[in-house]
Amino acid sequence: MKTSNMNKIWSDIKSKYSIFLVLAVLFIICSVVNENFLSVNNLSNISRQISVVTILAFGQTILIISGMLDLSSGSVLALAGVLSVSVYTMTESLLLAFLVAIIASVVCNIINGLMVTKYKTPPFIATLAMMTMARGAALLYTNGQNIYQIGDYVKFGQGSILGIPTPIVFMAIILLVTWYILKHTVLGRSVYAIGGNEEAANASGINVNKIKMKAFIINGIFVGIAGVIFMSRVNGGMPNGAIGFEFHALTAAVIGGTSFTGGIGTAIGTLAGAFIVGFLDNIMVLTRVNSYLQQIIRGAIIALAVIYDIWAKTKRTKRKLGNIEAKSK
Amino acid sequence: MKKWLAVFLVATLIMSMLAGCTSPATNEEGTGEPEESGDKVYRVAYVARAQADSFAAWLANAVKEEADKYDNIVVDIFDGQASDSTQNALIENAITSKYDAIIIQPNNGEAQRPYAEKAVAAGIITITTNARIDGIQGASSVDADPYEQAKVNAVVALEQIPQNANVVVLKGPPGNFHADARRDSWQKEFFDKRPDVKIVGEEIANWNKDEAMNYMETWVQANSKIDAIIAMNDNMAAGALEVIKDDSRFSEILAYGVDGTAEAVLLIEEGVMTSTSLQSAYALASALLDTSNKLLTGVETQIDIDIDCPLINKDNVTEYIEMHKRAGAIR
Repeated sequence: MKTSNMNKIWSDIKSKYSIFLVLAVLFIICSVVNENFLSVNNLSNISRQISVVTILAFGQTILIISGMLDLSSGSVLALAGVLSVSVYTMTESLLLAFLVAIIASVVCNIINGLMVTKYKTPPFIATLAMMTMARGAALLYTNGQNIYQIGDYVKFGQGSILGIPTPIVFMAIILLVTWYILKHTVLGRSVYAIGGNEEAANASGINVNKIKMKAFIINGIFVGIAGVIFMSRVNGGMPNGAIGFEFHALTAAVIGGTSFTGGIGTAIGTLAGAFIVGFLDNIMVLTRVNSYLQQIIRGAIIALAVIYDIWAKTKRTKRKLGNIEAKSK
Repeated sequence: MKKWLAVFLVATLIMSMLAGCTSPATNEEGTGEPEESGDKVYRVAYVARAQADSFAAWLANAVKEEADKYDNIVVDIFDGQASDSTQNALIENAITSKYDAIIIQPNNGEAQRPYAEKAVAAGIITITTNARIDGIQGASSVDADPYEQAKVNAVVALEQIPQNANVVVLKGPPGNFHADARRDSWQKEFFDKRPDVKIVGEEIANWNKDEAMNYMETWVQANSKIDAIIAMNDNMAAGALEVIKDDSRFSEILAYGVDGTAEAVLLIEEGVMTSTSLQSAYALASALLDTSNKLLTGVETQIDIDIDCPLINKDNVTEYIEMHKRAGAIR
């Protein structure tokens, strides 16, 4: 009796937290394979390296849960970043530079939101259009050239607060904000409701358009912050920076269990997804895996992680249904 | 509402077309159209690899500026968007529009070869640049030799890199002519001659600073001793240096790049970076316009030249800082 109870608890953990199990197993394997993996410095490096993409991924998580997505985040990041760097070199005000990044990014996301809510453009198309426009704007503004000599601007991404690198601090704060929004606010519940069933959500009195717009604005704030950290980390304003980051962010969210059908996903899951990719990239460089082979392994592990996650969840659903059937008998 | 949207879209389209007719991608003052001096004004189409590639953009801007010095030449810049099909279409359009000359900065030389040949066949002066497309009958070329660019660094590195050194290598995109030729040059001119040197990390960072940073951060975890960073361009060298700038273990590290960007010359001046070689967009642009002028006016019928790739190190860096200051890239 006792063992069956234990089994049940174990299988419950396995299904509910399957992605964390994948993360834990990967962590253990990495620690065994290379002695340099398990050091405070290396783990802090990984966290710093994934911070920009993870911040984008939190925005994606909220959008994907509500049945949307953002393909423009990499380009908007670059636009917000170069504007911010440029304002800093002109005014030397860190606060102003930070605000400019957020405003630029929020404006782009309001346009995304308008296209989606007012003109009923599918989010895929609307944000694809913004992806091209924002990149073009960043290149036009800088004439295609990088901005150097950015002085104290590097503090945003290379400094530290109480010994913790600033990108990690930003990532942690945004994790908490995302978790709080999704778990403890009306907005969060509405986001899940819309993603689960938009018509039902509408019928139950949720202002769908307003919620979608809010989701884009929150995403905009996150992307703006990511832009500041990115440019500061690379010590320059790079209009070509962060190409393809939207896909890395989508990958992290999806590995972390966010469902493209909407209505499912968590902030902490996305963080786990980002770390899975981060650990993997790190260990492959440490163990000097051939760089072409790295791409194949990365793809395969992403597929395996998601297949395992879906398999574990389906098993749980089946068991629950089984329980319900048993009870009704 | 829909009507307004349509009006807005059409207006934007017209405006962008008008903007395209004047001087795209330049916002400096004094870039007006050249004055006609009574003689024939030649129209030159410059098909850039990609305006989103910072070196290609620098080159396109330099070509535009250089063209302003010629009263008899007007250059129109077209953006190949790093796509073979876009670039090929632009070359075809330029042939149809009967330009007097077409300058092609190929995305992928072999993919553009048949289209460059078409331009020659149509009787249009055709020049390939950065990188040249070899062996097209009747076409001219202006280029910098990527093998040579890496070699000037590799030769000094033979002396500078200590015995039994650990080095890391940062590569450009695989299949890219310049990326492959520079790596090949380092192999033949340095690694084959120095079997004592050990490569402790080698990755493709795609010319990107942020990717180079990520690799370097990991390498310094696994290796307490790295004596040199060998990068196929300055951007990646700068990224690797960014990681270790406050790390006392690596204060003596050597770092090599190629391009001579504003960032690299500043790092060389600070004593952080060891050397780079100049791939000067100004020199390429000036050679391109000079070549175009000679071919258009019939002074010569075929020209193939390589610009110099001087080594930049702490001894001569001030000269190149001045060059970037004049261009406004350094304040």
